[in-house]
Amino acid sequence: MAVIDAGPRSTFTGTIRVRLRTPARRRNLELFLLLGALVLAGGAMVLVELGALGRVGGTLLVLEGGLAVLVLLGHVAERVVAPDADPFVFPIAVLLNGVGIAEISRIDIAKGLGGWEAAGVRQIVWTGIALIVAFAALVLIRNHRVLQRYRYIAMFSAIVLLLLPVLPGIGRTISGARVWIAIGPFSFQPGELAKIALAIFFAGYLVTARDSLSMVGRTFLGMRFPRVRDLGPILVIWVLAMAVIVFQHDLGTALLYFGLFLVMLYVATGRLSWVIIGLLLFGCGAYIAGRSLNYVAGRFGSWLDAFNPAVYEKSGGSYQLVQGLFGLANGGLVGTGLGQGRPDIVPLAESDYIVASLGEELGLVGLFALLALYLLFVSRGFRIGFTGQDDFGRLLGVGLSFVVALQVFIVIGGVTRVIPLTGLTTPFLAAGGSSLVANWIIVALLLRLSDSVRNQPHWVVDTAPIPVMASSSDPSAAPAGGAS
Amino acid sequence: MSELTLLVLRLALLILMWFFVFVVVYALRSDLFGQRARKLPATAGASFPAAAAVAAPLAPAPVAAAATAPIGSRTPQPDATTPRRLVITSGPREGMEIDLPPEQLTIGRSSESGLIIRDDYTSTHHARLMLWNDQWVVQDLDSTNGTFLAGSRVMLPTPVPPGTPVTIGTTSFELRR
Repeated sequence: MAVIDAGPRSTFTGTIRVRLRTPARRRNLELFLLLGALVLAGGAMVLVELGALGRVGGTLLVLEGGLAVLVLLGHVAERVVAPDADPFVFPIAVLLNGVGIAEISRIDIAKGLGGWEAAGVRQIVWTGIALIVAFAALVLIRNHRVLQRYRYIAMFSAIVLLLLPVLPGIGRTISGARVWIAIGPFSFQPGELAKIALAIFFAGYLVTARDSLSMVGRTFLGMRFPRVRDLGPILVIWVLAMAVIVFQHDLGTALLYFGLFLVMLYVATGRLSWVIIGLLLFGCGAYIAGRSLNYVAGRFGSWLDAFNPAVYEKSGGSYQLVQGLFGLANGGLVGTGLGQGRPDIVPLAESDYIVASLGEELGLVGLFALLALYLLFVSRGFRIGFTGQDDFGRLLGVGLSFVVALQVFIVIGGVTRVIPLTGLTTPFLAAGGSSLVANWIIVALLLRLSDSVRNQPHWVVDTAPIPVMASSSDPSAAPAGGAS
Repeated sequence: MSELTLLVLRLALLILMWFFVFVVVYALRSDLFGQRARKLPATAGASFPAAAAVAAPLAPAPVAAAATAPIGSRTPQPDATTPRRLVITSGPREGMEIDLPPEQLTIGRSSESGLIIRDDYTSTHHARLMLWNDQWVVQDLDSTNGTFLAGSRVMLPTPVPPGTPVTIGTTSFELRR
């Protein structure tokens, strides 16, 4: 952090001082963790090939090696553009992504897919693209406060991204949900990027609006409830979420956006009443949707009554859910071993059901390791938000990491039958380019946010003693400037 | 590839995954338990009153001598007694601790300040703390509402003894070792 203290403030001493960069301990720790993550990801891939094919080798490992080079290049770039960024976020994301690639390739092997047909190869290519996009974002956004200026642009782009799949021509309906766009051979889920744009917009909006949302209102039952006229924003977001349910048939995305707004509102205002109002609104909406929309009712039916043979046999019933549970049960405590289970029986085993596949082959122990990684990732994000200097950065950090947490909860909760199943991708693990790009952009933004809290001197992870510089006690420099 | 080797390898993968998790947790522990305390030399406690006594007569009055005086008139303190921490004792961020940077800490509303205080009383570039001869000196940068050292307004660069409150707007802080 070579900060040159020039300008009007330094007229007193009249010298230009360059603060020395603190030792790159954080980056070295990150490099160590990155190497560990890469070794683990490569090991998972080797085990998949050993378990499923009985031999090692082939193009997949070469492609993974290319990715490893890209990751290390990214690390070098980070040393230049974000030298004080958090050292944990990047390696955790690399490990999750690598384990995901290994499991997706394993399902390709089971299905006999190869080349560009194979989801694993596409996932590797998408990971490369996502890494490049993320580091472009890190280089371009040198100061996250710039994003606050573009909050309304972020809002409009979020709305446009949400509307794109509904447009005729480029919109596609895949397994009931109209959340895809297809241009030529490429299909993309724009809603994944919309969640970042929404987090930026919510953060920018709540920074300016939170006083009116938190200070006024009347107290009832020990809580301060907002005025009716301040309910506008939450109603707008509620209508948006309901529109996603009705027009795009996507429960998970609606829950994700609404939950994101609710949590950021709670963090910005510190008032529980907003959470209660929001949950009541969403509960009412979900109840009405469950009564009036067939597909929502179907989801609830196969959640509550999954093992009923009639529901199990029904088209669009609980077959997938139950097969996923059987897979998890087959895995047991330590799993069948990578490449040795039968995760491909479940429909969509490589995308929506990647967690069930991993649970079968890595077992409860492995699945909990992955959950622990998510926990660490999200806790780092909250920590970055907590230590941020400006309110926008703090809200953005909390929002971005919470959206990852909520998405993990919605997906894994759906697969393990804690909540009704909704089609969302597991961040970093599941096959899907749009999800990878979006989540890697979240990583880049978290790195940028954590780098910019470096000036907050209480944010010190390393325990190195602070060097006292000799130049400051140079007696001749100070008086010369003071007289001028 | 024998069954046994595969079994060992797949268990090794699980163990390594948890190992990775615990390495991260271990590296994170400073977040939970704070930084490891620095060992101070035994003389640190003894020289504390001396530092306070030296600072009692505040900066000399003549403007021309202002810049030179704090340096010339004071004996340099040994390195270990120089305050290293800034503790906010009252105000919105009460209780926050900052490790002082190597040579100066700028204070103000501007986002490029080292310590950003955002309230209605703080100027953009309000004040700064500088390390002169191993002693922290506070300088008011022509702020509108002033910087107060132990209740009196700072007009000239003034040494800040450890434990003396410095008030800027609604925030007070003091320097500690």
